[in-house]
Amino acid sequence: MLADRPPFEDLYRDFLGRIYAYVRAQVTSAADAEDITAQVFMNAYQAYGRFEARNTTPAAWLFRIARNATLDHFRAHGRRERLRRTIEHQPVSEHDPAGMAEERIQYRALLAHVARLPERQRDAISLRHSGLSFEEVGVLMSCTEDAAKMLYHRALKALRESAREEMA
Amino acid sequence: MNEDEDLELQALQRRLDDAFQTTRPRTGFEDELWSKMQARRPVWSRVSEFFSGLIGSIREAPAVPAAAVAVVLVVALGIGIIARSGIHVGGGPSSSSSEFTSTSLGASRNAGSFGRLPLPAAVSVPPKTANPPYDAAAPSSAGSYAGLVNLAWAGQLPVNLANAPVYRYTEPSAADADQFAASIGASGRSGSYAGSGFVLGVSGTIPALAREPSYTLTPDRSTLPPPGPTPVDTADAFLAAHSLVPAWPYTVTTANAADVVRVLYLRQFDLPGGGRAYLVDRTGEPYGIEVDLRNGQPLQALGPMPLYLDVAVYPIISGDQAVRAALGTSPNRSAPNVPTVRLTNVELAYALAIAGDHSFYEPVFVFSGTFTQNGVAYLKRVIVPAVGP
Repeated sequence: MLADRPPFEDLYRDFLGRIYAYVRAQVTSAADAEDITAQVFMNAYQAYGRFEARNTTPAAWLFRIARNATLDHFRAHGRRERLRRTIEHQPVSEHDPAGMAEERIQYRALLAHVARLPERQRDAISLRHSGLSFEEVGVLMSCTEDAAKMLYHRALKALRESAREEMA
Repeated sequence: MNEDEDLELQALQRRLDDAFQTTRPRTGFEDELWSKMQARRPVWSRVSEFFSGLIGSIREAPAVPAAAVAVVLVVALGIGIIARSGIHVGGGPSSSSSEFTSTSLGASRNAGSFGRLPLPAAVSVPPKTANPPYDAAAPSSAGSYAGLVNLAWAGQLPVNLANAPVYRYTEPSAADADQFAASIGASGRSGSYAGSGFVLGVSGTIPALAREPSYTLTPDRSTLPPPGPTPVDTADAFLAAHSLVPAWPYTVTTANAADVVRVLYLRQFDLPGGGRAYLVDRTGEPYGIEVDLRNGQPLQALGPMPLYLDVAVYPIISGDQAVRAALGTSPNRSAPNVPTVRLTNVELAYALAIAGDHSFYEPVFVFSGTFTQNGVAYLKRVIVPAVGP
C-alpha cells in the first residue's frame, strides 16, 4: 500500500456517517440512503487500489462516488416519482421504525426541505455541510470556487424561503 | 442583505451543520456494511492485507483505531434504545467450553504455550495527553461518550484465580468458510452463499471492529414457519433449523428496538473451579449470537463462525494488580471538568485479541461503576488484561 494512502478502514470509519448524511439529504428515505451508502463504500472499496492521494483528497474522492451513486439511484428509480413527491410535499413512507427512532426528529424536516431543492442547489448545500471546502464543492460540481459559493448562497436563500412557506 | 436576513441565514447554516452532523445511520449499520464488504472478498486476501500491520501489534497498541481500542467507555443508563431484559440461564448443551476445543483444560497445563499474547482490543489504556476536558473531541453517540474520568476503587477485590485458559483460533481459509456454509446446507463461494430459503454471508476476522469470523444468515421470510410462543422459542427453533445452535455455554437475553426484538445468546467460557466468564466486546458488553425478529419472525441471525479452539493455560494477575491496572487508566489528577468515578464491581471476562493468522480469546477484568454528571446517570467500564505482562 502506498505510504500516502490511509488504510481503507480509516476512511470507512471517518466518512461513513458523513456520506450517509449527504445521501440522506438527497433521497429522504433512510432505507434508500442505506442502500446508496452501501453502494458507495462497496465501489470505493473496489476502487481504492487506484486512488491517488496526490490528485484529490479522500473526502472529495468519496463524495464524488457518493454523488454518482445518488444520481444513478435517481436514474434507476425514475425522477417521476420523486417529482410527484416533491409537488405533493409528501413524506416518503418509512419502513424502518428503528431507523426513525434513531434519527433526530427535529432535523428531518430541514433535510426534507433540502431534498426538495433543485438538484444543483441541493448538491451545493449537502456537499458544503458535509464538510467540504468550496474549492472541493466546485471541483465536484464542475464549476469554479466562486461559482460554488454563489450557488450555495442561492441555495441557502431558497431553502429559507421553502421553510418559510411551510411555516406560513 | 439586511442584518436580520444575515442573522437568519447564519442561524439556518448552524441548523444545517447540526442536521448533517447528527444524521447518522442506524446502530449496527456500520458493522453490517463492513461485514458485507468483507464477505465479498476472499478470506485469504483479508488475512494477507492485515497480517503485516497486525504482527507488529504484539504487546503493543493493537491495530485498531485508538478511539475504538481503549477509550474509557461511559454508557448512559436509560438512554439507549435497546432495553435489555429477562436474562436467564439458557444453558449451553455442552458443559465444556466448546465442543470445538481441541485440547481439554486438564490436559493443557503447558502454561504460556502460545507464547507472548497480543492485547485484547477491548483493553483500556492510560490517556496519552494530560487531562484534556473530558468532552473535548470525544466522539460521542447517543448515550455514550469517550471522555476521561478520574477513577477510585471502592469494591470487593476479585476472587483470585491463579490461572485461566486462553483460547486460540486460526484464521479460517476460504475453504473453511465454504465448508461451514456446506454444513448448514448452503452453497456458493468467497463468503457469499445461498441455501434453501436463506442467504448466508461469512466474513473473516475484522480487526477494525474487533470481531471474530462471523456469519449472517438472512431467511426468505415467505418460507418461515409460524412463530413460537416466545421470541426465544422462535430464535431457538430458527437456529436449530439451520444447525446453528451454539456449542458453547451461553445465557439468553432479549432486547427491543422499535418493533425489532433481538434474542441474544451471550457466549461464555469455562473457568477453573466451575465458574464461567462472558465474552465481551470492546465496550465491555457481552455478546454472542444475535437473532433479530420482527412481527415474531426471524429477520437475520448474526454470530461467530464455529471454529476449532486450541487452549493453553496462563497465569493471571492478582486482584490487587488488576485494581492498580484499572486505576492506572485514569489521568490520576483532578481537573474541574473530569468527573470522578468509584469503581464498585469487577468481573472476569474474555475478550478478543487479534494477531494476524491467529487470534485469541483472553481473560480480562471488567471493572464498572456508576456516576452522575449533569443529572444523567452513567455506567463506566474499564477493561484490563488478566494475563500478566
